[in-house]
Amino acid sequence: MYGTLAIAPRSIRDLAPVVGEEELAELDRLARPLRGLRILNLSITAFGTGVAELLSASVPLMTDLGLDCQWQVVRTGEQFAPVNRAMYMALGGRQATWSREMADVWQRYNAMNADLLTEDFDVVVVHDPQPAGIRSFVDERRRAATRWVMHCHLDISSAREDVWLLLRQHVEPYDAIIFEAESFAPSDVRAHGIEIIRPAIDPAGPRNMDLSPEAVAGMTERYGIDTARPLLCQLSPLDESCDPMGAIDVYDLAREAVPGLQLLLVATVVPEEPLARASFDEVARRAMDYSGVFVLSGLNEVGNVEMNAFQRAASVVLQKDLRRGFGLWVSDALWKERPVVAAPRTGLLEQVIDGETGFLAESTEDFSRRVVALLQDRSLAARLGAGGRRHVRENLLITRYLSDYLRLLGRLTGALT
Amino acid sequence: MLGSVPTTPKALQDYAPVIGEERVREIRDLAAPLAGARVLHINATAFGGGVAELLGSLVPLMNDAGLRAGWQVMNGSEEFFQVTKAMHNALQGMLIDWTPHMREVWLHNNLLNAQLFDEDYDFVIVHDPQPAAILGFIAELQRRHPAGYWLWRCHIDLTHAQVQVWDTLRPHLEGYDGAIFTLADYVKEDLGGPQTFVVPPAIDPLSAKNAELPEDVQQGILARYGIDPAKPLLVQVSRFDPWKDPLGVIEVYRAIKREMPDLHLVLIASMAHDDPEGWAWYERTVRRAGDDYDIHILSNLNGVGNVEVNAFQRAADVVIQKSVREGFGLVVSEALWKGRPVVAGNVGGIPLQIVNGKTGYLVNTVEECVQRVLSLLKDSEKAREMGRAGREFVRDNFLITRYLRDYLRVFREMRGIEPLRGESAATAARVLD
Repeated sequence: MYGTLAIAPRSIRDLAPVVGEEELAELDRLARPLRGLRILNLSITAFGTGVAELLSASVPLMTDLGLDCQWQVVRTGEQFAPVNRAMYMALGGRQATWSREMADVWQRYNAMNADLLTEDFDVVVVHDPQPAGIRSFVDERRRAATRWVMHCHLDISSAREDVWLLLRQHVEPYDAIIFEAESFAPSDVRAHGIEIIRPAIDPAGPRNMDLSPEAVAGMTERYGIDTARPLLCQLSPLDESCDPMGAIDVYDLAREAVPGLQLLLVATVVPEEPLARASFDEVARRAMDYSGVFVLSGLNEVGNVEMNAFQRAASVVLQKDLRRGFGLWVSDALWKERPVVAAPRTGLLEQVIDGETGFLAESTEDFSRRVVALLQDRSLAARLGAGGRRHVRENLLITRYLSDYLRLLGRLTGALT
Repeated sequence: MLGSVPTTPKALQDYAPVIGEERVREIRDLAAPLAGARVLHINATAFGGGVAELLGSLVPLMNDAGLRAGWQVMNGSEEFFQVTKAMHNALQGMLIDWTPHMREVWLHNNLLNAQLFDEDYDFVIVHDPQPAAILGFIAELQRRHPAGYWLWRCHIDLTHAQVQVWDTLRPHLEGYDGAIFTLADYVKEDLGGPQTFVVPPAIDPLSAKNAELPEDVQQGILARYGIDPAKPLLVQVSRFDPWKDPLGVIEVYRAIKREMPDLHLVLIASMAHDDPEGWAWYERTVRRAGDDYDIHILSNLNGVGNVEVNAFQRAADVVIQKSVREGFGLVVSEALWKGRPVVAGNVGGIPLQIVNGKTGYLVNTVEECVQRVLSLLKDSEKAREMGRAGREFVRDNFLITRYLRDYLRVFREMRGIEPLRGESAATAARVLD
């Protein structure tokens, strides 16, 4: 038994006003043959990550649909933390130290966690590669009696080779491996089934719930932002991976054409590590040169509802992302009918369709040109905003995610009998 | 120059509807002879924690009052921040292995920061132990006490400080002109040199955490988290550690739930990624809650921020702060300001905020806590009355405007400026009665 999480029950009916009856009926139809199916979701953390957010939205809805769906958190320790982090970095193709000893620690923790799997489940979904070694260490009988799914929420297409070699021997025997986009998978991955399930947003969650214009103005103006003037907004970690300095450059160039322009940068990740802190400080220091640039962070205890308000207050949302990964904040913005100008990164390409739901741009000049066009042409901004909401409505809502999962579970357990 | 921290401008006038024109005028009068004074606050971090929150409001208000206030953050190596975290813990009574190497790291980083210090100020306020040694090094480099008055602002409870660590720190404090403590009880007797003052912390009534919330936002948040406003609700907002006793809160809730099956409990954990002890306690608490879904355990890491905390505090029938040990426990004032009756542990700065039986109840045990909470849930008139009294008490004593006023008084006293008419000379160093 791992660490369990108490998640308040929730009714799928809450989504009816947003997605309509037909879609709910379809989910019910898919779920019916799976009622009572025992599913264990295993993750490495209970909060602070996109995975945790997806699970806290989807698990109670799965339960409401009649599946016996649980979420537990694997046990870690002080020794595991740096290994976990290094593996995460190395699989993402980023600089990391990796050694034989670290590989040993990784295997040992996975073996220890395998011993904790004492209940019977029909399906175990392991989220992300760090705990994916568990399957190899589970006893033969339990391993065979269970369908194993690895849901990889990272882009591991350019993973460091030695780390990928270690991981692949543990994950390739899984019954299915889920990636968030085709391009996130390593080119040489071999598995029984490769599935693509894009992540999704919860339209009824605090980050997307409707807010009145008065409420939005109140929450935004408190930080010195003038809601009568145009505002650019980027929500992202404020480190080099999301180019906050580049966002300031875009602002700097665009304000020549749009006087009174403002920029709000909100750090979605608390910069606790010295490096992250240093980049945050650098951004904060540069922001001081402009009266129209605002920097906030989770350390100001900015939460979901405020993030929601900031996106709604924005005239244009920027995503100057240099990272791999999905970047689901963009969908939150599109859902609010905000036009988005984003860098053409794999995850963002799933969300921003150039000229339809937003614009793609690379250089500061391109970004700025698009921003200015959107600020000067309200009908263009409105058209893209509407396109964005439609795109999210059709492709990136939690109901679509549930439907993908139910179909996969149906296929996997059909194979059981 | 160290790293400057930008703050959002604030206007004193915006506080007039909250505290009245007269008190705003008093602040302006206090500030008048200090107009143009260059004030620098130095601390270790621009974000997180009560100190950064206070400075985020205090610095712009000082500027609006006519002073020229700034806030800078010291630089430090990763090791420095680990060392000072241990130092911080030791000064609050935890036993640590304080080595000569740690002392060296602390001093060396202070020296490096002293070398970056290149401007003159009228008042420099150095917050907490991390940058405290900077003054001595600057004096050494400049071969004199640097310009202006230097004040050490201590936000922590030194009562049970580990002797070795305090002995390391103390000599570096002796050159300060003043030392400001949070509570009279926290003043260290053996700190010779600086003149001592007592200034308790305060809340900003206009911040996202405390400002009035539009009804739709309030209702929306409760609905998203599955809370039925028609049912009785208990709320505690705190770190998850043994000192805040989250397990005790669950016991209190369970005892009352036997009589009131509708009861809900919201525990909001303020967590840090790098705090394994916090995680262990989080897990213990979650396990204790088991599959009782009327207990809602939420966390800042799930995006529960200012506005959400604000909404939950406002929705509470009774706010609990069942601390068994506490620094100041300013969250009590946040709840009182929202007109909520509070039942809280009789420790640290809590008795200063709760007038027992008038603005809330002070308790020492789970049984007492159960009894008091139950009595408030059953007597809504009494609860309302206490809430009203609590709000007025906070208005008089724990708002950021009072905090600003105290600082101005300290500055005036350092400069030998006569108190305003009607004020006693000792008010700056006063203890709240």
